[in-house]
Amino acid sequence: MTPAVEFQSVSRHFGAVKAVDRVDLTIAEGSFFAMLGPSGSGKTTCLRLISGFEMPTSGAVRIFGEDMGMVPPNRRHVNTVFQDYALFPHMNVRDNVAYGLMVKGVDRRSREARAEEMLSLVKLDGFGGRKPAQLSGGQRQRVALARALVNEPRVLLLDEPLGALDLKLREAMQDELKSLQQRLGITFVFVTHDQGEALSMADRVAVFNEGRVAQVGTPSEIYERPATRFVADFVGSSNVLAPEVTEAFGGPRAWASLRPEAIRLVSGGRVRGTVTGTRYLGAGTRLEVRAGALPGPPSGEHDGGIAVLVPAGAAVPAVGAEVALDWDAAALHVMGDGA
Amino acid sequence: MHSDARPPLALTLAAIGGLLFLHLPIVLIFLYAFTTEDRSYQFPPPGLTTEWFAVAWNREDIWPPLYLSLRVAALSSGLALVLGTLCAAAMARARFFGRDTISLLVVLPIALPGIITGMSLRSAFAIGDIPFSTFTIVLGHATFCIVIVYNNAVARFRRLGASMLEASADLGANSFQTFRHVILPNLGSALLAGGMLAFALSFDEVIVTTFTAGQQSTLPIWMLNELVRPRQRPVTNVVAIVVFVATFLPILAAYYLTRGAEETAGGGK
Amino acid sequence: MSDAAHPARGPGDRLTAHFWRRPKLLTLLLLLPPLLWLGVVYIGSLAALLLQSFYSIDPFSGLVVPEFTLKTYGELLIPSNFDIIVRTVAMAAAVTLAAAILGFPIAFFAARYAKGRWKAVFYLGIMLPLWSSYLVKVYAWKLILAKEGIITWAAEGIGAGNLLNAVLALPVIGGNSLSTSYIGTFLVFLYVWLPYMILPMQASLERVPTSMLEASADLGASNWRTLRSVILPLALPGVVAGSIFTFSLTLGDYIIPQIVGSSRFFIGQAVYSLQGTAGNIPLAAAFAVVPIAIMLVYLTIARKMGAFDAL
Repeated sequence: MTPAVEFQSVSRHFGAVKAVDRVDLTIAEGSFFAMLGPSGSGKTTCLRLISGFEMPTSGAVRIFGEDMGMVPPNRRHVNTVFQDYALFPHMNVRDNVAYGLMVKGVDRRSREARAEEMLSLVKLDGFGGRKPAQLSGGQRQRVALARALVNEPRVLLLDEPLGALDLKLREAMQDELKSLQQRLGITFVFVTHDQGEALSMADRVAVFNEGRVAQVGTPSEIYERPATRFVADFVGSSNVLAPEVTEAFGGPRAWASLRPEAIRLVSGGRVRGTVTGTRYLGAGTRLEVRAGALPGPPSGEHDGGIAVLVPAGAAVPAVGAEVALDWDAAALHVMGDGA
Repeated sequence: MHSDARPPLALTLAAIGGLLFLHLPIVLIFLYAFTTEDRSYQFPPPGLTTEWFAVAWNREDIWPPLYLSLRVAALSSGLALVLGTLCAAAMARARFFGRDTISLLVVLPIALPGIITGMSLRSAFAIGDIPFSTFTIVLGHATFCIVIVYNNAVARFRRLGASMLEASADLGANSFQTFRHVILPNLGSALLAGGMLAFALSFDEVIVTTFTAGQQSTLPIWMLNELVRPRQRPVTNVVAIVVFVATFLPILAAYYLTRGAEETAGGGK
Repeated sequence: MSDAAHPARGPGDRLTAHFWRRPKLLTLLLLLPPLLWLGVVYIGSLAALLLQSFYSIDPFSGLVVPEFTLKTYGELLIPSNFDIIVRTVAMAAAVTLAAAILGFPIAFFAARYAKGRWKAVFYLGIMLPLWSSYLVKVYAWKLILAKEGIITWAAEGIGAGNLLNAVLALPVIGGNSLSTSYIGTFLVFLYVWLPYMILPMQASLERVPTSMLEASADLGASNWRTLRSVILPLALPGVVAGSIFTFSLTLGDYIIPQIVGSSRFFIGQAVYSLQGTAGNIPLAAAFAVVPIAIMLVYLTIARKMGAFDAL
């Protein structure tokens, strides 16, 4: 099957800055694909390469096998939900949604009927006559979604679609986007810096770092078997172990990651240490443990410490307590490279 | 000193006094248009009459300068609208080398005193042997009007933002459709305001004009001649009111057109 | 129709694609007309002005001699010409100083205390005089300052007629009446350029955070002390920005001293009469270069003081 979107060694440079650097990527048709990464990692530029607002410095972007090198944004069968929604302030909601049909020359009656259909798809029946300024953030987002879907795109691009919403609304929208994608059966590509969002919504995730793709895989692959130190650190907050530490922890002499929730407190485990801090998280308590007699501090976000997640209900040792740590051998995930 | 405290009395008086200082002289012009005294500026006027409006209406030497001023202002603000909008559109499109130089170039004709713009054009006409005409006046006026339109348009482009134009293209519109359906409706009021301010500025301009008009007379030049060698003083007052109103109304309209936006028109005269 | 792209429909789509592939070309095409206009008409004219100022005039035929010489600039140093420059610069400095003093309360009140409706009143109250007809404003002062005008009437009405006469009897700045004295010229300059001082001053005062004033009061400073040590230094960039306008506009004006004032020339009048009746375009051009040179020095100093942030 032809992939919906394909990047073939695509680079996009802005002067000396390599925003996107030799990226290869395949997005299967009908998938919900997340581009995850910190700001400046190149994920948004990749999205704009698909919509056509950026042109590759080198390499090729293909949509359904067709090279897009000569196709401007207005002719691509791809639509975008913009981060700031970019609703036209001078048009009411109905005209906003019908815009794509209007510029195609569809007559007023049919395009307005179609716009109403789209509005009801996003549960905004009866809002057609309002101006964007009279809507809440969540409603604007739905209008942007309806407007992008009216042209029946084969690929829908979403740029940080939930970034501007509050937590409650964001969770509701996550479910809704997911079910919408399954109902329509089209490819969704969305950009986010929120790893929780990427893991919970997407079937495949590409993690970006400094213009390159660090890893592509299913959410569980990304989470459980990070390919690089960066992925391990950025997705969740894993203990990243230097080769010497991995060796001392019973693994080979290589970089490895160890999830805080994979570590158990036992009476006589592999490693002993002192609790230096605790943080209550609701669903559990996160301990900082300083392990004694290690060859060097593990390089993670907690300098010199190992993070341990104690599940809710279990006894939480006090700061200063001596503890012993243990884990299943399989939990110590050895990573391919040290990058 | 707390911000929500009442202002000190001395400050309030000084501020109100300052505003009165700015406005009272203009009120006086209106009073003098009705005076019965036509040989001096006697105050208080010995009597009041409306006859000068009729006299001014029948004075044949007023109409040609008025027509010339209207023609020049229309042509100059039209040219400035095109040139200023193009320049603002280019500046909104991309960051490129030399942006600062271009914005300096646009502002310069109004930042330097009018006498320099005027004398420069006069020197160029002398070197190029260009005879004075309506065209030479428009040349000068359009040059300093560009910045007025530019300032209004550039602020609105900034507010419109790049994503709005991208959304239009994304939905299938080509550049012409984007211009027609998105840019024009959003830019319209800012351009109208800019055009009206440019019109007011041109209609009233006298310094540059004296260098570029030769023997022609615009309404401000007619007024200037009456000021230097007064004939019927109250008639000059009537013309002054006409000039005042012709500049005041577009300014007020421009204010209401751009009110509420962060870029209220006129900040950049 | 392919899955990936719509076909181009008509010339609009084809042109769009063309410019999409060459975004810089479109930017250049947009810039070309305004840049050509400003480059040819304005910069070209400024160059012509400079060129003319290096020419001279033949004292016998009265014709311009198009040969490079510094003789014309030398003529600026003749006492009668140099006096004109000194007089103009002194007037510009006086007007600037007075505008800063008179404008401060208005700007301060508008920036700090005016709220809601009053904010709009102050905004229009400053903007309308700024934009309304220059000539009408000057003319209004001709009426006010006339010997038989409202000021004389008011002075006599309150029994201050002798005071007015005493002021007019002062050497140099006095004169036959207010409308033929330097005091009159000064007042009109001040009136006409005052809004140009208030606006940038207000802008920079609005940027002073209220918390900073409260901090000063909190630390025990009196109102005067807060004004002097906190507000004035923070307002200074605005004052300098405003002074660019008042200084430059006064340097280049020739209408006001022609209508209200003594018969002694300012730079603007010298330029105007030299290029007109006298036909000495080179000397007129050299005179016009003087304000440019002064303003270049002024702008360099102002830039160092951070005035451009307040524009």
